[in-house]
Amino acid sequence: MIAVEGLTKVYGHRTALDAVSFEVPKGEIFGFVGPNGAGKTTTLRILAALLEPTAGRAFVDGADVIQHPDLVHDRLGYMPDFFGVYDQLTATEYLDFYAACYQIPRARRKKIAADLLELVGLADRHNQPVDTLSRGLKQRLCLARALVHDPAVLLLDEPASGLDPRARVEMREILKELQRMGKTIVISSHILPELTELCSMVGIIDQGRMRATGPVHDVIRGLTSGRRLRIMVLGQREEALATLKGLSSIRTVDIINGAIEAQYEGDDTTAASILQALTAAGVRVSGFSQLDGGLEDAFLKATSEDVG
Amino acid sequence: MNRVAIAVWNPIVAKEYRSRMRTWRSPLAMTVYILLLGGLGWAIFSAMAASARSVFNGSPANYGQALFLYLVLFQMVLLAFITPALTAGAISSEREHQTIDLLFVTKLPSFSILWGKLLASMSFVLLLLLLSVPLFSLVFLFGGIELDQVLAAFLVTAVAALTLGVIGIACSTAFRRTLPATVAAYGASFILLAGSLLYGLLFPTAIDPNATAAPAPPAVSYISPLLPLVTIGTSQPVTWYGIGSGFSSGAGGGMMCSGTPGGAQSCVPLNANGVAIGKGVATPFYRNPPQATGTIIPSGLFAGWQYWQATVTLQLLISLAALVLSAILIPPTRHLPWARRTRAARSA
Repeated sequence: MIAVEGLTKVYGHRTALDAVSFEVPKGEIFGFVGPNGAGKTTTLRILAALLEPTAGRAFVDGADVIQHPDLVHDRLGYMPDFFGVYDQLTATEYLDFYAACYQIPRARRKKIAADLLELVGLADRHNQPVDTLSRGLKQRLCLARALVHDPAVLLLDEPASGLDPRARVEMREILKELQRMGKTIVISSHILPELTELCSMVGIIDQGRMRATGPVHDVIRGLTSGRRLRIMVLGQREEALATLKGLSSIRTVDIINGAIEAQYEGDDTTAASILQALTAAGVRVSGFSQLDGGLEDAFLKATSEDVG
Repeated sequence: MNRVAIAVWNPIVAKEYRSRMRTWRSPLAMTVYILLLGGLGWAIFSAMAASARSVFNGSPANYGQALFLYLVLFQMVLLAFITPALTAGAISSEREHQTIDLLFVTKLPSFSILWGKLLASMSFVLLLLLLSVPLFSLVFLFGGIELDQVLAAFLVTAVAALTLGVIGIACSTAFRRTLPATVAAYGASFILLAGSLLYGLLFPTAIDPNATAAPAPPAVSYISPLLPLVTIGTSQPVTWYGIGSGFSSGAGGGMMCSGTPGGAQSCVPLNANGVAIGKGVATPFYRNPPQATGTIIPSGLFAGWQYWQATVTLQLLISLAALVLSAILIPPTRHLPWARRTRAARSA
């Protein structure tokens, strides 16, 4: 659905994007992760045909962003990292205005506005002036605006920034609903735990270069060295530590918040063997769980070392 | 909707009307405008009435003409202050509020954004002009002004306002921020109104002794709407401005003129030492150049045109140039068609 090939953007002497490539299949939610200034917004603006790349190509639903920006605009909804609301308009008028800009006939616009306000939970505020809405509600209205022409692809630049936890959860629920509706969504964010839960794919970008891209768990596994176990034992912590240190698959053992965290090399069979060894040594195990390295670890790993 | 309908009536216009008319600023601007124009009219009328009480120096028709002249000139100056303020922020404020990208990602062509902004601003200017119509109708009470003069004056004013509006939009497109755009728009407005007139003062048309037509101010000065407004208001030829005061056009030399019993003058060119050039009787005598009559431009590039026609033409040309410049500057990704093909080839 989205294909980016060797995208490069140079501003004077500064390279904002350096041969960035990735693909997002239809129906996926792609998390675009990177520190501030890494090139996330630049990439999204190029995808939205708002910025010309210095080199490389990008396609949205098969349409080249350089050759056919009009087709791209037809197939894509873009929500920038700012609100972009007009004063003096009500929520309905605001959506009606953008629907008119997409040349949607007047007869259909009223229903579209009402449906979208319902989708983002603003139906009861349809007549409220846009500038009096709270930050979270404005953000939802902007999401509705990006959807007025029913695009197949959504580009969301930091949709959760500045939102309180409750508004973030609500935004996440709306995005999940949109995924169920078959939309392909690209979200740039630096709130990583949320992306892990929401996204099926992830791309980690730093200093204009794509450090890692692919399905979330593949990226995490690829970047975090070894897997981690969290083991809770009843009293016999010393015996457990001794047993674990005696195993060849164990690389490190730590005690974190009263629980043993062990990093090991291997797969699920190795984990089962570790549990077996502990019980064989007479350790009474009350909890045994695999810890996902997490996107944060992967992100730190990807952005700390000089890849490539 | 077809393309023409979209271009003429696009959503920007409707949105701008809503936004503009829902604030207190628009009614206030309209009230202040009418109060200023009406106040000036009242002041002029009072002054004329007071002077008429002491010395009778004219017919009511003269009052009507003077009142009309002052009102059209003041209206033009007022609009020169208002129009740049309306348009200089049109595009730059969208940039500042970061809403322009949201328009660029819609199916609305970039030019429609410009056009919509221009149409909405100019509608407000037109509204102000319409509001002033009742004031101008008072002029007819005194007489001395014909309907065609009023229409011509309004046309010149409206076209001048349009030019200032398009220049404002061009500044708003060229500058990223509203403040420099506004300063540039007011600068352009000043040059258009006063700068072009200053040109006529600094570089007046030299009188050509061979000319068969009366001299006219330099064509650059026709850009200013004030010149045609004065000619429309007074119905007098322009002899007081933009024309060299003597026959001398260089260092030394000049003309020697002598009166004839019939009252006509005949002149002969002199060299730098004041000696007549030529060979006695064979030397052609130069007539005094004819005097301009009426409000028609007697000579030069626009010879035979009315002053207001020349002004309207020049202003429309300036508007077109400013509009084309804005259309080139506004798109977020702009490249010429051949550049696009080259890029595509390189990427492939």
